[in-house]
Amino acid sequence: MLPDGAEDRLLSNADQLANVCRENNVQQWDIIGFQAYGHQLDIEAGKITMAGGGGEGGFGIRVVEDGRFGFAHLVDVSGAERAVQQALSIARKSPKIAGFLLPSEQEAQDVPGRFDAEILNVHPEDLLEQADGVLSAVKGLDERAIVTGGGVGVSATAACFMTSEGILSTGITTSHGIGLQVTIDVDGELTSSYQGQSSRTKMEDVPSCVERAVHWAQVTQNPLRVESGAEEAPVLFTSEGFSPLFSMVVPPALTGEKMVRNESFWSEKMEQQVLHESLSITDNGLLAGGMASGSRDGEGVPRRTQQLIENGRLVKTLWSTRDAAQQVAEGRIDAASSTGSAVSGGHQSPPSTGCTELFLTSSKKGKSWDELLQQMGDGYVVNGVMGAHTANPSSGDFSVTTSSILKVEGGEIIGPLKQAGLSGNLARSLCESVELGVDVRRQGSYSSGSMHLPDVLLSYGLRINPA
Amino acid sequence: MVMASKRGEAHTPSTGRYLETERVREALEAATDYGATYAEVRVVSLTESTVAMRDGQLERAIPGQELGMTLRVLANGSWGVHSTTDLASLNDQIESTTRLAKAVASRRAKGERPIGLAEVPIFEDEHHWKSTLDVRHTELDAKIEHMNDLYRGATGHDDIVSVRTGWSDEHIHTELMTTEGMDRVWSFQRSLIHGMVTARRNGEVVSYRTRHGGQGGLEVIQACDLVELGEQAQKAALRLLEAERAPSGKMPLIADKDLTGVYIHEALGHPCEADLVAAGDSCLDGKLGHKIGNELVTVVDDPTMMGGYGAYPIDDEGVNTRPKVLIKNGVLTEYLNHRETAHHFDVDPNGGARAQDGLHHPLVRMSNTMIHGGKHKDMDALMEDIEYGVYACGTRGGQVDTGRGSFQFAAQEAWLIENGELTRPLKDVSVSGLTLEILKNVDGLTRDASLASPGFCGKGQTVPVGDGGPVMRIREALVG
Repeated sequence: MLPDGAEDRLLSNADQLANVCRENNVQQWDIIGFQAYGHQLDIEAGKITMAGGGGEGGFGIRVVEDGRFGFAHLVDVSGAERAVQQALSIARKSPKIAGFLLPSEQEAQDVPGRFDAEILNVHPEDLLEQADGVLSAVKGLDERAIVTGGGVGVSATAACFMTSEGILSTGITTSHGIGLQVTIDVDGELTSSYQGQSSRTKMEDVPSCVERAVHWAQVTQNPLRVESGAEEAPVLFTSEGFSPLFSMVVPPALTGEKMVRNESFWSEKMEQQVLHESLSITDNGLLAGGMASGSRDGEGVPRRTQQLIENGRLVKTLWSTRDAAQQVAEGRIDAASSTGSAVSGGHQSPPSTGCTELFLTSSKKGKSWDELLQQMGDGYVVNGVMGAHTANPSSGDFSVTTSSILKVEGGEIIGPLKQAGLSGNLARSLCESVELGVDVRRQGSYSSGSMHLPDVLLSYGLRINPA
Repeated sequence: MVMASKRGEAHTPSTGRYLETERVREALEAATDYGATYAEVRVVSLTESTVAMRDGQLERAIPGQELGMTLRVLANGSWGVHSTTDLASLNDQIESTTRLAKAVASRRAKGERPIGLAEVPIFEDEHHWKSTLDVRHTELDAKIEHMNDLYRGATGHDDIVSVRTGWSDEHIHTELMTTEGMDRVWSFQRSLIHGMVTARRNGEVVSYRTRHGGQGGLEVIQACDLVELGEQAQKAALRLLEAERAPSGKMPLIADKDLTGVYIHEALGHPCEADLVAAGDSCLDGKLGHKIGNELVTVVDDPTMMGGYGAYPIDDEGVNTRPKVLIKNGVLTEYLNHRETAHHFDVDPNGGARAQDGLHHPLVRMSNTMIHGGKHKDMDALMEDIEYGVYACGTRGGQVDTGRGSFQFAAQEAWLIENGELTRPLKDVSVSGLTLEILKNVDGLTRDASLASPGFCGKGQTVPVGDGGPVMRIREALVG
């Protein structure tokens, strides 16, 4: 999959760009380059409909002169001179950030488990075999179930990061992913469930998400007939149901910049209780095998593991070098420095600030699924919501629609609802009694990084409106 | 490895070609020799610029030049696709991509239909929608000036804690060559300005988003009174600080043009996408010719609507565009199609194929989607007989489960309607429902229909879209 010498050629092209920066006497610069190769299959209507592959990549150049920065991106390095000139021209029009300097070289720790040579040897024919296996497994689990959408894919990405300050980092990461929408249609009563899974290493042929997709399409069949009417009720979110809301609301609130600009619902609450005292949040930028972890952040600063909320108390926020310098220069905070939290979204944009591998944990013993149901008593189980992206990250308020919801009475699941409105304020609900499950699963996110979340029982402040 | 363009200049004029036509013809002929029944090469060059400012200060300006190419091969009734930034590698990929398509085909079960393509007219031509003020010649200073107009309107109140403004423009140049002899080149531009106003009072933080944009160059932005746009956003953010949590339950709903647009995009547009219908993932499967909505409802998807953010001159399979009447007087009349689904349903393609860029293959997508105007004079006329309901405006986005036909969309702000009058401001209003129920519940539309704020639609790939309509009344909707 990965052409011979891909990493070397990427580095050679980055060198060309660096030389253009040097020839133009750019004070400081950093260059990020990616080249990704992969194979993927699309599945629709219960069959493989397309096989694809290819390679794509490009370069981003950031220049800094007297605290002013400019950026440009390109695919073809023959356009390097123009890109550097554009970036310089923008830098000269940008406001000066006193004290903003690109970071110098610091020793960084290797993060294992982000590359699997086995993935390099996965051919399209192997993916076809895997997809056949998944389709068969779905049929084996439920003859009525059809995979109406999704696919499988593998990729290998060569990346390089090079700066005027002597940082040089290169490497190859791999990934293997699957996503599938499973639908069951019985006499026009259609239920469906989307589940996905990804890994830096080669996954088993039929990963656990396949069974989960079929399960949720099955258990939401034959919805109960209920009266419409809003009620406050506890909700047991599965990890998959909780992740979209959590990732939309919590990670943005933890960035230092939003905090000092009063744009976070946790602004002015440093060292105060912001979550239930049993809860902690940790960002593990060094997680072995992580999808977003790594040795260095998007500015070359070593990544680290850092506790952001400890026993409910807000103790730390996330910073990139640039954000920290800017907020200090503009007087919103006396001192701030990079926490190794610059996140690169690819070659087309300069780094922003974000989390990498966010863990929600509890000091209380994790509960099994049955124990969580028993504790809830009467309430609802939610495995999927529509419209999580409409949640308000400034306030934590959300108003969404469930796509998979079960009604629970006396700790027993009595059946699904067709759909229901679900609203509340996530930050406030997390301040009250919260119980976590034992099984932590990694979820992708809308914003940045990965969310490592168990099942979560929220008991207060949620309003359910069955339809 | 990375892009090996034959051209030295990063910016190729819209009348120039990225594809070496003779070489591509050879490659396409080779695909036929390897057994392809159809093959195409599509290259897209994007010359783009984004700018971000906060509180009147430049945060970042990013000029960029992206180039991507997708080779798509149909062999034995299945697709093989290769996407790359390396145009020079095309000829090396023909055999393997054709082989890939055949490998997929070999797994087709007995009785499963092979993929076919509906016939289309073959053109060798160029179409360039010229902007009055070309985005490629718009200086950064001009962009900053316009963004500052928006900022000036939005700032200036103690409770406004920040005003973010953004700019995005792009010149899209596409070339398509196929084994059928299609050789088309087209280009057009889009421009967008947006703002996010954040207000805070007594620990309560709210934000309000505003957007203006469309197909075209700087003239699109110049046509808008940006100071006024900013002022409206400021007022809305301050209103949200005082807004109450919305009531919950089934009740009458009036949606402004923005929200009407998102509603029709989510609730009807997506289920009308024929690739989803063919995959068994649409609640509108088998409903062509059926009455699915109130007879007031007529819905059109129209990529030819110049100025709309979802406009395009030619679709990404080289098919000429035309307006598509999806619903006429409540009756479902047409799906959105590309060539594959048109063949599947034995109809003519209607120009609905769109790809995010040169590195993605075309899917069935919407363009500018609108409900036609109705008979009510204005919003007061829609509201006068509502005892208790909600008027919701602006959009925070939406989502749909096309198979189940359930959807959700969220408003930026709202008011309670009591006895025909707007009374108290509300916040965090979302609306959900079932497509096949709620289209029948539309019981009032104002006369004036137009496109509202520009938007983006995600379906694995992100494409710009326009949505809109008149002010709409829904007899009963689930408000949360």
